[in-house]
Amino acid sequence: MFINVYTISVLFSIVFLVAVIELVRSNKLQEKYSILWILMSIILMVLSSGPAIINKLAGWLDIKNPPSLLFLFGLVYMLVYNLHLTVVVSKQSEKITRLAQEIAILKEKEKMQ
Amino acid sequence: MKILAIIPAYNEEKSIARVINQVKLYVPGADVLVVNDGSSDTTAQKARDAGARVVNLPFNLGIGAAMQTGYLYARYNNYDIAVQVDGDGQHDPAYIHDLMKPVMEGKADMVIGSRFVRKTSYIPPVARRAGMLFFSFLLMLLTNLQVKDTTSGFRVINKRTIEYFSMKYPPDYPEVDVLVKLHKKGFKILELPVEMQARKAGKSSITPIRSVYYFVKVTISLLIGSTRTFE
Repeated sequence: MFINVYTISVLFSIVFLVAVIELVRSNKLQEKYSILWILMSIILMVLSSGPAIINKLAGWLDIKNPPSLLFLFGLVYMLVYNLHLTVVVSKQSEKITRLAQEIAILKEKEKMQ
Repeated sequence: MKILAIIPAYNEEKSIARVINQVKLYVPGADVLVVNDGSSDTTAQKARDAGARVVNLPFNLGIGAAMQTGYLYARYNNYDIAVQVDGDGQHDPAYIHDLMKPVMEGKADMVIGSRFVRKTSYIPPVARRAGMLFFSFLLMLLTNLQVKDTTSGFRVINKRTIEYFSMKYPPDYPEVDVLVKLHKKGFKILELPVEMQARKAGKSSITPIRSVYYFVKVTISLLIGSTRTFE
């Protein structure tokens, strides 16, 4: 076995998967948000297991250098996941705002009594 | 009728007491609420000393979210009318009565104190004037609504609008944005002339970079907001 883009990718996706599972285990990452990460590491693992799948896919998509399909996949995944995260942040900031408002009004009411 | 004057304030210790006193002088029947948006100076203390109720936000939320706090307070305490007066002294409380009249008579759901309905002494810098014209134009294009002073924060609203704003209000740069929302929901908006003064004290929050952000953010939210068919 020698070091190339495939072995590195497989190794990386295994380490990544273990890291995600460990984060969930130690309650640092909610299950809800771990699903997409686990899915990604599995897909990456399958894609990078050997040149066969990736070569075939690359052939269909007319990609000259098959490993660049891995990068394309990773990039698109990041993009989509990032968008998802900003949606989550937007929802959270709305909730935090409402919390702050309610607390401020509550404290004023308390002072009045 | 229960009237609440809401004064959003962020580090306005130099002007806040004067604004409160003026509101009390011109609208003796109104309760005055200062929403202290996480000021680091003595705004809250000065406001309390001047006899206002003070709601202290635990951190700076921005003008929209601060105003919404006031509207939420108005809803919880059953106010019929809410007036927004800025804490920096640029809105002259002498005009509040005129602005309140159409709302009290049921002729409008929101009245905007406008600098441009009639010729007033206020002459904004060229860039700001261009921005204001652009927003007026865009608003008319998108909704057929004619508002000359889209960015004025000097506003009076009735109970129905209080209820709506307490649920939905943009957290930053809300003035232009809500016009589209209100229009779509069938709220009646009226503009009346007022004089405005240059801010009495404190620093304006508007810097060149922020005005670009303001412009882009408001334009995007107008364009996307006008296509909204739900809410």
